[in-house]
Amino acid sequence: MRLEVRRGKKEITEGTTVADKLLIVALMIISLSGFIFIKNVFPQGTDVRIEVNGKSAYRLPLNTDTTISVKGVIGDTVVEIKNRKVRIKESPCPNKICIHNGWVDRGAIVCLPNKVMVFIGGSEDRQNKTIDAIAG
Amino acid sequence: MKEKLKVKSSKLEVQKIFLLLATCYLLLATVSSCVPQKEKVYRKSKILMDTLITISAVSDSGDKADLAIEKAFSEIEKLDKLLNFFSDKSELSEINKNAGKKAVKVSPETFEVIERAIYASEKTGGAFDVTIGTEITLWDFHNKVKPEDKAIRERLSLVNYKGILLNKRASSVYLNKKGMLIDLGGIAKGYAADKAVEVMKKKGIKSGLVSVAGDIKAFGLKPDGKPWKIGIKNPRAKNEDDEIMATIELTDMAISTSGDYERYFIIEGKRYHHILNPKTGYPADGCRSVSIIAKDGAITDPFSTGIFTLGAEKGMKLLEEMGLDGIIVDKDGKIHTTSNLRGKIEIRGSQGQKRNN
Amino acid sequence: MQLQDKYRIALLSAYAIAIHSFENLLPTPIPWLRLGIANIITLATLVLYGFRSAMMVTLIRVILSSIFIGTFLGPGFIMSFGGGVISTLAMGLTFSLLPRLFGPVGLSLIGALFHNIAQLFLAYVLFVQKLEPILIVSPILILLGTITGVVNGFIGGMLIKNIVKRSNS
Repeated sequence: MRLEVRRGKKEITEGTTVADKLLIVALMIISLSGFIFIKNVFPQGTDVRIEVNGKSAYRLPLNTDTTISVKGVIGDTVVEIKNRKVRIKESPCPNKICIHNGWVDRGAIVCLPNKVMVFIGGSEDRQNKTIDAIAG
Repeated sequence: MKEKLKVKSSKLEVQKIFLLLATCYLLLATVSSCVPQKEKVYRKSKILMDTLITISAVSDSGDKADLAIEKAFSEIEKLDKLLNFFSDKSELSEINKNAGKKAVKVSPETFEVIERAIYASEKTGGAFDVTIGTEITLWDFHNKVKPEDKAIRERLSLVNYKGILLNKRASSVYLNKKGMLIDLGGIAKGYAADKAVEVMKKKGIKSGLVSVAGDIKAFGLKPDGKPWKIGIKNPRAKNEDDEIMATIELTDMAISTSGDYERYFIIEGKRYHHILNPKTGYPADGCRSVSIIAKDGAITDPFSTGIFTLGAEKGMKLLEEMGLDGIIVDKDGKIHTTSNLRGKIEIRGSQGQKRNN
Repeated sequence: MQLQDKYRIALLSAYAIAIHSFENLLPTPIPWLRLGIANIITLATLVLYGFRSAMMVTLIRVILSSIFIGTFLGPGFIMSFGGGVISTLAMGLTFSLLPRLFGPVGLSLIGALFHNIAQLFLAYVLFVQKLEPILIVSPILILLGTITGVVNGFIGGMLIKNIVKRSNS
């Protein structure tokens, strides 16, 4: 087997050059600052997940005030996000238990008749560090 | 000759490099593949059986946990289709429609639930009775309407679990009076929790938690090696802080709570709730809440309802007799616990409830 | 194309395919996260025999390996195809525009970086369609790419030196 270097004029820089080292440092800095940026922009437990009939329907940030109408099984449930809290504002269900829940900043709100579930993501785990389930 | 040697030595070097490379990456790969394989709790909620069901599974693989959880949900969905009181197409409706007419052949699951319901009825002396269905249809908790006394009295003769005739060989169920209605609301959820756990175990999950509304079944230990911690609702919670009355740690056990705070309305200061006494047709008024702990949800669910109807005194006696564990909050707010539970249960300070040993 | 060139490409591709397939067997925490060992071959080919050969080796490796592994034209194939082509392109451009600036380590790093960028972009367009998860995994991928890039670069450098030494003797 014979191999030869065809491009004699383009001599290969052997070993590591200054530019190589600078590149390593630059990439390290980029990735580390990326980590910090993400920690700040997406802190955990700040998204609101809405599921309808067992299927994920929406994912919204908790830090942006929004009102959204979610089509459920019997009608539209209106979910409101404000000041990092969530509530069900309007619901077509007969007993309105979900509306009576009021503003919530952790855990979940559920409207059984309309099959709409609103989860505040991440915070669920924090809460469940003490209790895994509630009987009753 | 010289050249040949040179080629040989450089070939050796190439081999060396490849060997170095291989070991280097094997090391890296083993290290990186070890890190993420940590056990985690995977949790999913769904609305089925007209209630919120949450299933947790401990696994080192999200896919495996997801699969097991989905299988468990479809098992519950299947049971819901068989046992739903309100669905016209359920096997239960078929039994009810043919009350006083003929025996209905049912699936093994439906047969088993009814069999276990009758067991609970016998043990509680009829304080738990699935034939309460006929009375339940009279009550409307959404619109807060109390039925007329006369109507309640008239239907009372149709409430009797002894009128359910089971034929094991034919796997059939017969209600011996026309108008009798079985409502499995007091047992189906606990039974569903049992079945869901069974399915997850079959799928290789060693630890998890199924909660079908207030009926919970735990198995195995959490990733931190501790048992599952279950909170028991305070029947008279005023705010979020006193929502939990007590906590208990469970593994390979089920717990169910029946309370007068779940579905109710108040007329002229009197509380009308959804747990009806089969003997009177009116809401049972001996307790505020009853929690039962046992191996199976198909035990805890009906017994929490039955003992609620029996009241604190008789209820405690029955529990001690049967060797079941339970926590009863009586109508005055006193907490009673079975002797076996003392030390295992942690009662949180809450107003208006006195501890009574 | 000369016969010799064809031999060379075939030989290097065979190496690359072997490495690629072997690497595919190693477990990784994130799908498509690879150590990029096959990039050593691409790197050496680029430096020694030019961009066209390097691209040829990459294409042969990606396509044939995916056929061997059984992911041909599947999502995994699209990802590794995109990543391979873009990283080879990036390394080739750097090497011909700034021939003396970077050594093998720098080239390897550039290859790894663009491999990641291409895959993240493809994942975004084809699968995730949400910016958030892409942004979250980016720093991790860049960091891992830097580490593996340096290691690959060193080994690539050794390989190049070795081949040069041999062909000069």
